Amino acid sequence: MILSLRLGWRNLWRNPRRSLISISAVASALLFLAILLGMTQGIGEQMLDNGTSLLSGHVQLHHPDYLPDRNLFDTLGGRTGIEPGLLDALQARPEVRQATPRVYGFALLSTGEHSAGAQLISVQPDREAEVSRLLQCVQIGRRPGETSPGGIWLGKGLAREIQATLGSEIAAVTQAADGSLGNELFRVEGILRTGLSPLDNSVALLEIPDLQLLLALPPQRVHEIVIRLQDVFAAGAFAGQLNAGSRLPEGVRAQSWEEFSPQLRDYLQIMDSAYGILIGFVALFAALGILNTMLMAVFERTREIGTVGALGMPPASIIASILIESLFLALLGVGLGLALTGLVMPPLETHGLDLSRWTGEISVVDTYIDPVLRFRLVPRHLIWSAVGLVLATLVAALLPALRASRLDPAKALTTPQQV
Amino acid sequence: MRTPFLFETVLFVSLASLAQPSALPQTGPEPKEIIDRVDRLLRGDSSHARVEMTVATRRWERNLALEIWSEGTDKALIRITQPKKEAGMTTLKVGEDIWNYLPKIDRIIRVPSSMMASAWMGSHFTNDDLVKESRLIRDYRIETSFDGGRDGRRIWEFTLTPFPDAPVVWGSILYEVAQDDLLPIRARYFGEDGRLRRTLTFHDVQQVGGRAIPTRMRLVPTEDPEEFTQMIYHDLQFDIPIPERTFSLSSLRR
Repeated sequence: MILSLRLGWRNLWRNPRRSLISISAVASALLFLAILLGMTQGIGEQMLDNGTSLLSGHVQLHHPDYLPDRNLFDTLGGRTGIEPGLLDALQARPEVRQATPRVYGFALLSTGEHSAGAQLISVQPDREAEVSRLLQCVQIGRRPGETSPGGIWLGKGLAREIQATLGSEIAAVTQAADGSLGNELFRVEGILRTGLSPLDNSVALLEIPDLQLLLALPPQRVHEIVIRLQDVFAAGAFAGQLNAGSRLPEGVRAQSWEEFSPQLRDYLQIMDSAYGILIGFVALFAALGILNTMLMAVFERTREIGTVGALGMPPASIIASILIESLFLALLGVGLGLALTGLVMPPLETHGLDLSRWTGEISVVDTYIDPVLRFRLVPRHLIWSAVGLVLATLVAALLPALRASRLDPAKALTTPQQV
Repeated sequence: MRTPFLFETVLFVSLASLAQPSALPQTGPEPKEIIDRVDRLLRGDSSHARVEMTVATRRWERNLALEIWSEGTDKALIRITQPKKEAGMTTLKVGEDIWNYLPKIDRIIRVPSSMMASAWMGSHFTNDDLVKESRLIRDYRIETSFDGGRDGRRIWEFTLTPFPDAPVVWGSILYEVAQDDLLPIRARYFGEDGRLRRTLTFHDVQQVGGRAIPTRMRLVPTEDPEEFTQMIYHDLQFDIPIPERTFSLSSLRR
């Protein structure tokens, strides 16, 4: 074995130029994979970030019966509601960036002349600002938290439908929690534009105490707590931890974005499968290069291999020496590739690649897309790529190695030496 | 189609007037004719009533005092007089339209078609129940499906089946009317899948406003038999003159 190792290593440098070319082929294949996978993953995670930061957050707490009907009465903790301390307790956990409560409702909004049904979302502005981009979507007027109570912010399409403008007085009428016909007047403080037209056509934003007043809900009754974590990929584990044991009060259940945004989860899972295929193809091309190199090497050394065979070296050792030679090729290639990746990726990950020089502002189907591509290289993907390349190299070397081991020493020795 | 409580009010009031011997059909009932006569009798009729409405649900229990004016099948005004918090809330129905006046915010809001299926003031009746009261004959084929003794009384049971193009929500309605006093006993509403959805029963026949009528009605949703909406008529006057302006937007605000 030691002999095969030494042979393999020495043979590698018999034709240094050719070996270096093969090594750089493997290295550039790895670098290529790192950049490509990093870019695609970056785009995927940007989508995930856009998807979760607009409204939904990373983890949501609800009453177990609340979804999907969003029944007014299924507030967190049931009839009694929740202790205000729950929010602070959640926020105190190191994984949590911020947690914010929400109350939802449905009401008929009317300016007098025009009316329309609207989905009401109410927030606590100081917390909400650190969880979602919702408040940043206020395009005209002041934001929630900057006004006196009684303000309402209308989605752009909704405002147009009921012909409301800044300062309009809006009557809201709804079935309140006590059975009465809840009704309040609100003042339009701003227009909301999320970029998602179904939302902009139907949503009105309020502050929690105002909506609780309209719905006849006491202050401790809210429908949802939305949590933004430090790491979006920790959401599943975090929600699982909250649900396990008795960390949450009765009538409260946590869900991660994987559960309430399954399409995002599916997209990322499909991407992972696509990466596998991509790695497979790139490794195949690299392997063809190695195959060529090793076939040449074996062909050149026919006499020599015949000699060691004649001297009694077992075929297994011959195979081993050739496999080890290509393993060295692959490892050196992967090592060089990792070094290059280490040079190239960090700036792409921290600063991203600004495409705006070529593309200008990009928006697809009314959704703003960041023209700066943020790369993200997941260690898992780099490991898959490296392992894939090494395995492919070994498989590629198998054919030349077997061929060498089957050489008839008598014939091999009569073959003229190739240089 | 949902038969509304106003319809019931007016229906049993009118049936009560049918109970005069001269109005009794001599031979067996001609169902459509009975209902049709009811409908025609209602036109031009007017009424004024004080009603106590109790709503019991899993979520709340409500007691409302109502004052109701009606004229024909088309016009009605319902004002909440108790409890204090809701006093003054008024619903105006003219034809197919409903407006609510909300005194707290001093606004009149027309109920849009998207909210017609919503509960009226937290009861088991819907806004739709208010407007479709005059449409039974137009929307349903009416046949006698039972004629004989049931629960110790002789009754007729009419089966109301909607015409194919009728804009109604019920698959059918079974309506039981007593043969002796021509008063309604019970109405059962079935969904389009044939399942019973809700049952309206009539109780406590008393002389009110010179007529014998059931003074208590109780609506029970089948899926939640613990819940109910009950209306008790305390004071009822018929054929009284009601000023035309009562059924106008301006009177909503009173």
